[in-house]
Amino acid sequence: MNAKERMEAAINLKPVDMVPNAPFTEAPVCSYYGSTFRDALLEGPQILKAHMKSLEEFKFDWVMLGMGYIGGIIPEAFDCKVSFPEDVFPIIEKTSVFSMEDVERMAKKDMFTKRMENFLEGIRLLKKELKDEVPIACEYISPFTIATRLRGTNEIMMDMYDNPELVHDLQEVIVPLDIAMGKALIDAGVDYIFYGADMECPVLLSPKHYKEFVHEPTSKVCNELARLGAKVLPHMCGDIVKTGIVDMLLEMDIHGIMPGNLTQEKVLDIRELKEKVKERICIFDNINPNGPLLIGTPEEVTKETLEHLEKVNGMSGYIFSTAGTSSPFTPKENYLAMDREVINFPWKQDKIDYK
Amino acid sequence: MAIIDILNAVVEFDKNVVVENVKNAIDSEIPINDILNKGLIGAMDVVGEKFSSGEIFVPEMLQAAKAMQAGLEVLKPHLTGDAMIEKGTVIIGTVKGDLHDIGKNLVSMMVEGAGFNVIDLGVDVDTDKFVAEAQARNADVVCLSALLTTTMPVMAKTVEAIKKAGLKVKTIVGGAPVTDAYAQQIGADGFSDNAPGAVELIRKLVAA
Repeated sequence: MNAKERMEAAINLKPVDMVPNAPFTEAPVCSYYGSTFRDALLEGPQILKAHMKSLEEFKFDWVMLGMGYIGGIIPEAFDCKVSFPEDVFPIIEKTSVFSMEDVERMAKKDMFTKRMENFLEGIRLLKKELKDEVPIACEYISPFTIATRLRGTNEIMMDMYDNPELVHDLQEVIVPLDIAMGKALIDAGVDYIFYGADMECPVLLSPKHYKEFVHEPTSKVCNELARLGAKVLPHMCGDIVKTGIVDMLLEMDIHGIMPGNLTQEKVLDIRELKEKVKERICIFDNINPNGPLLIGTPEEVTKETLEHLEKVNGMSGYIFSTAGTSSPFTPKENYLAMDREVINFPWKQDKIDYK
Repeated sequence: MAIIDILNAVVEFDKNVVVENVKNAIDSEIPINDILNKGLIGAMDVVGEKFSSGEIFVPEMLQAAKAMQAGLEVLKPHLTGDAMIEKGTVIIGTVKGDLHDIGKNLVSMMVEGAGFNVIDLGVDVDTDKFVAEAQARNADVVCLSALLTTTMPVMAKTVEAIKKAGLKVKTIVGGAPVTDAYAQQIGADGFSDNAPGAVELIRKLVAA
């Protein structure tokens, strides 16, 4: 199996020849291969260089990119003032929605800025080079999370009680634009839309508010992107099983879930999630990117990786991953230790029934 | 009018009722200290517990904090003597390179609600500013927040700078990607993964 075949098999809950290896590599690979984080995000050829070198050495089963896209390029296209520091993620210096008039103004936005075009060009270059043997995954954000970027998180959270109409209206304006950006990613060559639902996770919002404010716009976007041919993979922190959020996600045309671990001490058990989703969608694992991987030794990383893999050996629809973005300061020897264990792990071919 | 009515109104984040209840309590000559500590501050402890247990979430916490602040404004002109004594000074901010403020704001409101003097330096705060403010304000605790994995190392730099400056101030860290192990590794005095936990931690550190 090549990388694309392996990932597709896992996403479709078919047997795989070895563990699909798909961590969030974007930030570390930029620093490992001599590119500044900013250049790798914003300049097409730099994106290509960093990721191709990483594939050579690590043999990942995907190319994962887009942290700068969701953190900087999208908010900038929506009139936020954004700075792009060299070695850290983009920073929103000033939000852009202060009133209902601003919401109306957003509806007329042309999202396709020069930076966005550069980013899309990088994806096209990657697609050409990868020859469809390695899938491309791109970060993406929900209308609700975009709304928090444009208005400010505190403000949106207060609006949910003080000005709910604005929260609904702003998302209504964002939905078609979000879909247009998703379509552009798919047209450029993105196979997997990694749907970040950062600000509506059950660590921050109640299931009641999720249903009232988030579920409908999220469904519209996810269903349309799936219809356009992408595999849609939501990422959400917190206990999505206990809070019932996973049931609402399963109502949509999604292909997998990556549980994050915003509060790292309370990591969601992948087997518990498997019992819930059964054979409906695939599951990405949630190795803590800020645990041993960032601050431990290669031996500690090896131990943690093996613990995760042994727990799920043979589980259908399993994809090894980190629970979100790895730090660019992750020691390379730690990443190599994790990579080595995943590649060499004796994966059972027989499907295990977790029901 | 009973203290419990003030507490309940804050917990139910009914700002107008909080204001009315505090006014009535003052008129009824209920001790100002009790209105403050058992009513308003006590309410934020309940709010913190409800947040920790998953009964309420961030929007509700923000609304409760707003209701508590409204009650505090009514009470302020009456705060004299013991009631004016703050429990300590806490400097808080999101570290350089990071503009995320939701966690920092929640901690700030909860700590202020617990009776501490909070100096909120905002977001994207330079290491030097944390050191200078901690020194100038004779702070008891400096709270550092980060949401990005990329800005976590700035926490380490800031903790180190505070130690180098020879300040007796305690440092605590928090934010989505931060762990207890990371806090220990960088030499911080404490870690909390939630706002109520941060209040408890600060109380302990200041009392020690």
